[in-house]
Amino acid sequence: MRRPALCALLIGCSLACNGGLEPTPAGCPSGFVGICGTVTYRGAVPESTDVIFTVAYETFPTGTADLFKFKPSLPPTIPAGGVPFHYSIPLPAGRYEWVVAVWKKLGTLNPNGSNADTLLRAAGFYRDPTDTSKPGVVVVGTGPTNSIDFVVDFAHMRRVCDLFPCP
Amino acid sequence: MLVPSLAAAQAPTGVRGTVRDSVTGAPIVDAEVTAGDSGGWVAHTNGKGAYELRQVATGTVVIHVRRLGYQSATRTVALTPGDTVRLDVVLVPVSLELAPVIVTAAKRSQLLDQAVTSVALVTPTDIARRGVTRVDEVVDKAPGVQFLGGQVNIRGSSGFQVGIGSRVLLLVDGVPAIQGDRGGIDWDLMPLDAIDHVEIVKGAGSSLYGSAALGGVVNLLTPEVATGFHMRVRATGGGFANPPDTLWRFRDYTGGEELIAVNGSYGTDALRASVTVVGHHTDGYREQDRGDTWQVAGKGEWLASSSTHVRATGSWARHEYEVPVVWCEYGGCDDRGLAYQPFKIDTAQSLGAYTTSSKSLFAATVDHVASPRLSWMARGSWLRTDFTDIRLPAGESSLADRYGVELRGVARSDHDRVSTVGGEVARSEISGDAFGNHTMTELGGYGEGEQRLGGTRLTAGARVDYVQRDGGGGTAVVSPRIGLVIPGGITWRASAGRAFRAPSFAELYPTSCLPGGLCTQANPLLDPETAWSFELGTATAPVRGTRIDAALFWTEAEHFIEPAVSGNGLEIQFQNLERARIAGLDLSASGAAWSNRLTASLSYTFLYARELAHDTVPERPLAFRPRHLLTLAADYALGPLSVGADFRYMSHYERVELYSPAIPLLSPKVLDLRATVTRGAFEARFVVANALNYLYNLVPQTLVPVRTATLSLVWSY
Repeated sequence: MRRPALCALLIGCSLACNGGLEPTPAGCPSGFVGICGTVTYRGAVPESTDVIFTVAYETFPTGTADLFKFKPSLPPTIPAGGVPFHYSIPLPAGRYEWVVAVWKKLGTLNPNGSNADTLLRAAGFYRDPTDTSKPGVVVVGTGPTNSIDFVVDFAHMRRVCDLFPCP
Repeated sequence: MLVPSLAAAQAPTGVRGTVRDSVTGAPIVDAEVTAGDSGGWVAHTNGKGAYELRQVATGTVVIHVRRLGYQSATRTVALTPGDTVRLDVVLVPVSLELAPVIVTAAKRSQLLDQAVTSVALVTPTDIARRGVTRVDEVVDKAPGVQFLGGQVNIRGSSGFQVGIGSRVLLLVDGVPAIQGDRGGIDWDLMPLDAIDHVEIVKGAGSSLYGSAALGGVVNLLTPEVATGFHMRVRATGGGFANPPDTLWRFRDYTGGEELIAVNGSYGTDALRASVTVVGHHTDGYREQDRGDTWQVAGKGEWLASSSTHVRATGSWARHEYEVPVVWCEYGGCDDRGLAYQPFKIDTAQSLGAYTTSSKSLFAATVDHVASPRLSWMARGSWLRTDFTDIRLPAGESSLADRYGVELRGVARSDHDRVSTVGGEVARSEISGDAFGNHTMTELGGYGEGEQRLGGTRLTAGARVDYVQRDGGGGTAVVSPRIGLVIPGGITWRASAGRAFRAPSFAELYPTSCLPGGLCTQANPLLDPETAWSFELGTATAPVRGTRIDAALFWTEAEHFIEPAVSGNGLEIQFQNLERARIAGLDLSASGAAWSNRLTASLSYTFLYARELAHDTVPERPLAFRPRHLLTLAADYALGPLSVGADFRYMSHYERVELYSPAIPLLSPKVLDLRATVTRGAFEARFVVANALNYLYNLVPQTLVPVRTATLSLVWSY
């Protein structure tokens, strides 16, 4: 009886000694599927700031109806200004045409997006390295896609109706 | 070896006498006296310890005398036709390992092995050994039970719902104690020092308890107040381990906690009362984690007669605590270049957050035994919860009162049949800016009968509930249950029952925003969630001092209420899931050896929890349910010293929500160590919880307690 009890205790200890949270340098965590990068901020943060989300679109939205076709369905938030922030967006494998930080003004967004132009702004997006005037396409494989860096510029945020004609 | 031709003997013949205690000489009431090997003639002693067996067959007859708590006696008498023989018997009292008596599974007293569903017990010994400070720490150690962010989860019934909408009903001495506004549980409502033991009924319990008893029932039972004067003082002090890495350090001192608990009672034959007062302070193990708790609990009993028992209980608690809310990730604090800082708060979301929370429960109960065949109980209760959350950018508060009355009767029509019938009314009134001003009225009527067929016990019953909100249209729900227990060397039990939970106001009308800007959206159209639960269980004691209990369970749930992201991705709303399935195995084994000096237990739960496919959503795991949960415990006592350990393993979640991708999904392995020294009226307990300082989180961005060493000194009078 004594030996099995001792063995059980040793097994328990050895199992418990293994693992747990450890200090992890900022970056895409291992086993993560999606994109990671650093957001750098410019300009003064508007007082009416509610929250800033990071999302990805498989195809660039061409109308209000496409506005909420982003991934992931529960978008991660990033700080409103401050030091450069290492963000990550969990995404399924695929091709994404627009990785964007969405600034939201204080207020309630209608579920149908009818007041999206009032409350939402494109605060910054990942740009094509060869032509920085265009969004950069990101391909997510079965692991992390790193260095998708971009700038959030509070002084030059774009209205929804600048991206496509609003009704 | 006995009874020659009993069947053939026909002449009226008898045996009579008394049964007495060998030590005190007192008559023993309700001792069973049987004649013949097959127990063909049976009598029970009356209040004077007397019995009489009539029309016993002639010849040499063996008489057996049995009574719980005494060594059985066997005598042989020679009977001639027409004779009545006097046989006085004395029984020797013995210490017996009695089958535990439970009161929760059927809303009446029964033996543990007579329950149709699985019941786990946390005994006074378990509570004392673990040396913990809060009630939830005790319940968390029970087989098949798990806590997630203060929310109890039995057999995977609950995921993580920020503490609201509990699918487990909390009772205090049988009185419901579910918050009127949030539908959750305040685990600090009762001081641990006022609790005697805990009964945990697993599986659907709505056929007797109505809403919230969907996944199980936890009943905190206070001790009967003893006669004479008694007192107990417990003083506890301890400290939390500092973060193991300097990059995680957040303060330049070691955090500690202190607790003082005083319990006193005085009782006469007719009147008894007890009071417990507790004060607790903690520095916490994280940044912004300090808290103070004050608890008072009292109990008064009036034994008006041998058949009438009046009991009044009350408890009040106030908890003021800083709230870390969530730990910070890169950029959210002084991150020191790390992806996350589990000991530090997110300064943008958590800075300055704190909560004040008061709660009280008062109940009065009258128990009356009208006759050996009929007893009834009446009770009234009032639960008040009041909280104020201070958060950025604004706080919120809510006050909830829940009033309840219940009337219940238990009829034993003969030795083979027991019927329980009752009715319950509850009304909740809430106000405040957290969930608005609302009322809810719940009416419930229930009945359950147990019929013995030979040794087999068949149980069937149902409860009808009617829930009405804000004076509008109501919802009626029927919750039937059937069960079967087949006793023997191996006891088998099977049950099938339907359960439900009405949505709480916090799920219907949330108005708050979570940290990070995600706001909750009201959903007044939520339906009650319902579930059919099935269980097949078995229990056996292969060797004296051991017990093995295993159960297969299967739950088919409809309209489970779970948080979901709304269409625009910017709000969280509680919605009804189409269907969910939770199945698994619950196994527990316990044993003792070396004259009970060594005790050990093992419990294992396997879970298969799935949200079934609907619309465009494929079948997927239910969030925040582990597939494997294993607990091992062992204690060894040698004279005044005892040492023990608990080990718990939980496999990582198959699916999580609101979970940062930077955080690895872990399989926690936690070891607790303890030692106790007893000397006369004094006892010292040393406990090291999470001894190996395994750092992990169960809910998003919330670190569970690190290694904590505490020393408790207990004095009893």
